[in-house]
Amino acid sequence: MKNKIVYLFILLTAVLACSDEFTEQTAFGSLSDESLKNADGVDLLLIGAYSMLDGHSATGGDDWFKAGDNWWFDVMSDDAHKGSTDGDQADLFLLETYDWGSANPYTTGKWRSLYAGVNRANAVIVQIGLVTEGDFSQQLAEARFLRGFYNLELQKIFGNVPYISEENFAALEFNQPNTGPIWDQIEADFENAVANLPNSQEQIGRATAWIAKAFLGKTHLYQSDWAAAYTSLNDVVTNGPFSLNSEFADNFKLAGDNSSESLLAIQFTADETTSFNGNRGGTLNFTGPNGYCCGFYQASQDLVNAYQTAAGLPLLDTYNTSDVASDYGINSSDPFTLHTGPLDPRLDYTVGRRGIDYNGFGTHPGKDWIRASFADISGPFMTKKNFYNNGEDANVGTGGWGEQRSGINYHLMRFADVLLMAAEAAAETGNTAIALDYVNRIRNRAKNMTYVKDVAGLDAANYVIEPYTSFPDAAYAVKAVRFERRLELGVEGHRLFDLRRWGNSASIIAEYISNEARIVTPFGVAANAYQAKHDLSPIPLNAIDQSQGVISQNTGY
Amino acid sequence: MTIMRIKFLKKLLLSCIFLLGSALHAQKVTGTVSDSTSSLPGVSVLVKGTNTGTQTDFDGNYTIDAEEGSVLVFRSLGYKTLEKTVGTSSIIDVVLLQDATSLDEIVVVGYTSQTRGSITGSVASVDMGEAMKSPVVNAADVLQGRVSGVNVVSSNAPGGAPKITIRGFGTTNNTDPLYIIDGVQTTDGNILNSIDPGDIAQMNVLKDGAAAIYGSRASNGVIIVTTKSGGYNQQKATFSLDMYSGSSQASNLPSMLNANQHMNMIKQSLINDGAALTHPQYDPNGTGTFTVPSQLLGVGQPVTVPGAGNNWPAAVTQIAPTSNVSMSLSNGSESGKYFMSLGYLNRDGILLNTGFKRYTSRLNSEFKILDKLTVGQHMNVAWSNGNSGNSESFQNALRSSPLIPVYDDNGGFAGTYSNSAGLGNSRNPVAQLYRGKNDFNKSMRLFGDVYAELELIDGLKLKTSYGISTNNFDRRTFASLDPEHSEPLGTNTLIVQDVSSFDWTWTNTLTYNTSIGEHNINGLLGVEAVKSTGVGKEVQASGYLFESPDFYTLANGGPSNVNYAYQFESSLFSIFGSVNYNFANKYFITATLRNDTSSKFLGDNKSGLFPSASIGWLASKENFWPTDIAISRLKIKASYGKLGNQDVPGNPTINQSELSKEFSFYGINGSAISTGAKISDIGNPDLRWETSISTNLGVELGFLQDKLYVSAEVYKITTDGLINRDNTIIPTTGPDANAPFVNLGEIQNTGFDLGLGFSDNTASGWSYGIDMTLSAYKNEVISLETGTQVGNSGYRGGAITRTEVGRSISEFYGRVVEGLDENGRFMYKEIDGVPGINDEDREYIGSPHADFTYGINTKVAYKNFDMSAFFTGSQGNDIYNYNKIYTDFPTFVNGNRSTRVINSWTPTNTNTSVPALSQSISNSETNPNSYFVEDGSFFRLKNIQLGYTLPKTTLDKLSMSSLRLYVQATNLFTITGYDGIDPEVIQGGNLTLGVDDQTYPFSQLFTFGVNLKF
Repeated sequence: MKNKIVYLFILLTAVLACSDEFTEQTAFGSLSDESLKNADGVDLLLIGAYSMLDGHSATGGDDWFKAGDNWWFDVMSDDAHKGSTDGDQADLFLLETYDWGSANPYTTGKWRSLYAGVNRANAVIVQIGLVTEGDFSQQLAEARFLRGFYNLELQKIFGNVPYISEENFAALEFNQPNTGPIWDQIEADFENAVANLPNSQEQIGRATAWIAKAFLGKTHLYQSDWAAAYTSLNDVVTNGPFSLNSEFADNFKLAGDNSSESLLAIQFTADETTSFNGNRGGTLNFTGPNGYCCGFYQASQDLVNAYQTAAGLPLLDTYNTSDVASDYGINSSDPFTLHTGPLDPRLDYTVGRRGIDYNGFGTHPGKDWIRASFADISGPFMTKKNFYNNGEDANVGTGGWGEQRSGINYHLMRFADVLLMAAEAAAETGNTAIALDYVNRIRNRAKNMTYVKDVAGLDAANYVIEPYTSFPDAAYAVKAVRFERRLELGVEGHRLFDLRRWGNSASIIAEYISNEARIVTPFGVAANAYQAKHDLSPIPLNAIDQSQGVISQNTGY
Repeated sequence: MTIMRIKFLKKLLLSCIFLLGSALHAQKVTGTVSDSTSSLPGVSVLVKGTNTGTQTDFDGNYTIDAEEGSVLVFRSLGYKTLEKTVGTSSIIDVVLLQDATSLDEIVVVGYTSQTRGSITGSVASVDMGEAMKSPVVNAADVLQGRVSGVNVVSSNAPGGAPKITIRGFGTTNNTDPLYIIDGVQTTDGNILNSIDPGDIAQMNVLKDGAAAIYGSRASNGVIIVTTKSGGYNQQKATFSLDMYSGSSQASNLPSMLNANQHMNMIKQSLINDGAALTHPQYDPNGTGTFTVPSQLLGVGQPVTVPGAGNNWPAAVTQIAPTSNVSMSLSNGSESGKYFMSLGYLNRDGILLNTGFKRYTSRLNSEFKILDKLTVGQHMNVAWSNGNSGNSESFQNALRSSPLIPVYDDNGGFAGTYSNSAGLGNSRNPVAQLYRGKNDFNKSMRLFGDVYAELELIDGLKLKTSYGISTNNFDRRTFASLDPEHSEPLGTNTLIVQDVSSFDWTWTNTLTYNTSIGEHNINGLLGVEAVKSTGVGKEVQASGYLFESPDFYTLANGGPSNVNYAYQFESSLFSIFGSVNYNFANKYFITATLRNDTSSKFLGDNKSGLFPSASIGWLASKENFWPTDIAISRLKIKASYGKLGNQDVPGNPTINQSELSKEFSFYGINGSAISTGAKISDIGNPDLRWETSISTNLGVELGFLQDKLYVSAEVYKITTDGLINRDNTIIPTTGPDANAPFVNLGEIQNTGFDLGLGFSDNTASGWSYGIDMTLSAYKNEVISLETGTQVGNSGYRGGAITRTEVGRSISEFYGRVVEGLDENGRFMYKEIDGVPGINDEDREYIGSPHADFTYGINTKVAYKNFDMSAFFTGSQGNDIYNYNKIYTDFPTFVNGNRSTRVINSWTPTNTNTSVPALSQSISNSETNPNSYFVEDGSFFRLKNIQLGYTLPKTTLDKLSMSSLRLYVQATNLFTITGYDGIDPEVIQGGNLTLGVDDQTYPFSQLFTFGVNLKF
């Protein structure tokens, strides 16, 4: 009996002795902070920070809320309608009709995705601080460039945003107040990048000193700090490695990917199977020739009208006096006569309209390719720049439910944009000669490019475009530059932010609503009046609720 | 295989008998056991203090070898246990008295067992015999309404696990209780899906400090499942067969607009919007005159519109057959016993092509292989396959235009065809369900244990048991092309997922039982190690040439992609002990202590100590207790215990980054994709487990010789260190990583559980009874470390619930709708005093917590007929009817709506609460607001059954020992004011309670069944 108890005791002791080791457990398959504490770890996190350029984060809801190409900000401007039927993506309908609520998932998604970007950049910066050996100044500069980029986007959209520093990141202190603009922090990041990045990079998607300089110029431009903006931007124009592609349309084709006109692009890739790296944010913006989902992102009549020319020049003040003929309210089976007036040839590389070839997929038949009905607010036009060209299969990617995830690079900044920003800074400082020169470089490229052809091989419409002969004064130059931005960069996600920084959103949008209502009557009925509060997007309600009152709402919401 | 097993067992049994032999000198005792009316089969007869025992046969007769002076114990469920001393007579006939409370029933309470009468903690048991009258798929369902303090919400989907919460919401984390199945531990609520409920002998729920013996896993309560075993010394094998078949049908399907009403809805929407009166189907030429077309317009092929419109909810549902067969065989000799069973269940779902199928088999056996050594095992093998259908399909049935038929004129599936056809963008739900018919969720689950018990000295036993639980889960889903859809899939896709997990539990206990005079002592000391491991992955491939299931392998598609893959391990080591003491069965005291060490935490937080104590006093056993009063039994009990909760995944204490193809890879060189990393989980090195302090005060009363019993308990559970992901630490301005688990604060639940029962029988052959349970709790958040917590913000319109100090966990928060304005739009209550409705104009608009929940079980029997009815209900809780976003608002304009919108606001119909129709949502009307909050109270006849037992004379002719036939109906009626599909709402996370976004329709089940015993 005693023996039994002794054995039992031994057994018990043995079991107890093992317990310490028994309850130590490592995590499988995931990377600990320790395992990333080396050069490889820094590089991996840096790629992760770049990958947020497409907006696709693990938080923030549906893909399109987080679109990296900012397409739906065009819907909130005078460039585009949401597309599809009104109730489809009702939250976007609310944005387009100026019924902006702080709980709108689009705004919230964009906010979250941009902060994911800021913090992935912070993660790189913090990680570099943990590695004791090696020189990481270039990686640090790339990370700071990316943080500057994400913060610039936040600043553009929300105006008053919390700044999350790398110290905040390391201490998990993400609940920071939004007491005003964060321009200084953005500039500091870009300046660091200019100083520490090489002029060119082997891997084409990485930031360079020139790219950083262009974004620094853009940051000054957004503050109307014209002199500083001009200095940076003009340096890029005159000394940088960039130039315009001879074909405007190449910017939206395989040929334009990482071409000389491209500064920073989202490297969308339609990789095999599920295209995780395709343009997921733009996945709703297909329809027409292949019947794919979902008929969103339609150009406005107002934008189309802007491409009217007289003597080859845009109608700066009177473009809305008469309308470019549209097939609104006309079924595909009913006859339609194409507009015969003179038009800027860039129109038909920007907007899809009835009677004109659509990206090589044949002549646009009108209503049959439009998802919106005549009772909806979206009108008769499609957009083209985001839609791949027929035959460029390398740009055709798919997703889970057959989504189109295009591989067309989206240019976060292309050289035409740099030229026009430089021209604008020049015009604002009275340097009309430079402004004229840069605008005309844009217009001459458009004039000399290949025009869209009809089935007979002739120009598809009456295209007439000429450079300006002169800018009589600075005010005219500013007006011409601004107008040129719209024509050149139409439906590329810049328009709303241009209007905001010009401070003329209220009048332009009011005019837009009344003009647009002439043709697309349901839009006129549905649109609410633009108010001062719309100059900034509302801080997401969820952000305010979670912050326990640390984050405050923008005025008016 | 079964036959092989029996043969093998017989051999084993024979050899064991041969080895051991019997050395006792005894006389043969025979007799008959009966109750007041008839003889009782199946009564266990045992010679006290020995393992010699038998059971009465069909006529209540028994034969047993017993020495003169020894004591025979007669025991049968539902009767008072009787002891008779063997005298000189070799014939002992006894009459057993019925006992409503079964106080002598042995109840398994953790590592030990006690008689019901001596329990001092809050331990509730289910009368499995009664509960199993309804056709139960998941054994957890039997707890609903039958055990006070346990709230069970059934899942409507076939094979869906019910959600169980015990005594309120004491945690912000998972509320799943700990399950102990014959000693094997798991918190996986699906485990009960793998057990044939017919195999279960006992289900006991530890609700208070009594659960502290399970320490760090016990704060959500412990459900102890004990499966059936054979009895020693049986005279012959008992074979029983239970089977039923029947069918279920959809009930309470939402009423949707027909074609004409849909047309009027669209027209009124256009009128209200001031839009042109035109619609691709109802008025393609813009004449202003709307008509329902006879053929779909503009869809490029002939499709006939069903006359009054398609009733999609009806079209996706079916009358669904159900069948179940369970059979078991048990027997035992002097030295060995066994129970084996086979079960088959096939329950089709009421959604087309859905269902749940299960095969189970069990073998429990035990052998006395040496004088003092007993070995045994339990083994459960279960295979199941469930297909609950495409999760969108029922929602699509609510969204689909009534103009679209199921099939086009050529017999193919009809759809929305093109974007411009004005038919919405819902996929054809019948097609979705049909195309998903070959999808599966197969699970092969094996669990059980082997054990050995050695009696060291009298009353001192050493037991070691090694239990395992494995699960091999395989899921396949195939998305077929859908050419009829306006947003057709570009490619078909196969997704396969598999998970394989293996857990083991090794338990060693030393128990000591002794009685010295009137002192009864029962002690336990144990060590236990638990390890959980698993690996899993999901892989997908697209571009299948053929859409036939025999082609669905990953190799036949295009390049495959690993969506995710993972591996995990965790371990727990524990030392525990308990002491039960009672004096003269009048004064009871129990104390337990457990120390747990968990791999999930770091440093000092790895270990924790969990004590408990309880006392009881059976006052009615005192000598001074008068015998002439109505109160025949009075017991007072109190308990205190500290419990833990460590249910967090993986390694929550460290930061983890991941290489994510989806989120962190990037084409940095312009073409090929480069590998990148992102932080995925933020760690919290200071995380510790939740601890609950549970106090319980109870009284048990018996009246009229215990025919009427009342049991009442009040409790208070204070949970500190609530474990939850804290989104205020990783708020919207943080990285796209999972927020860390933190110890969030403190919650208190106070409540009472009431049980009431009465049963009696009359001389004229009637017997009747009623059992009632009533549970109520009040939940209050005492403190939160990091401020207000917002619930799931993934809903359209954002988070619906929030949790704040001073209120209950997860109350609804939003705007208050005060009526409709002159345009038929919601008018919201002005709350912050600042003119204009803004974000501050929100307040608490409802609570998902019920005032009380209850269950009523009634039974009546007359001679061979028996009838029982079981009602359950809830009172005073609110439900957020989230599905109204789709059925009451133009979330999808051309989709269908609820018939509620017929009464929507128009300039001539202003006395309504339904806002004006429109083509689009405006005025933030689908954001959280009080329009969606409804009273969720209900009263439901959960089950009613009528049975007939064949008379003995007939049975004898058939050589059967019993045969009962019955018909039953489930969910026959529900009284509720709730407008949704089913007021029983399965909860999401604990910070998001009471939000109804159910995607499976509610059903009724009618069955016919047979219980047969040979």
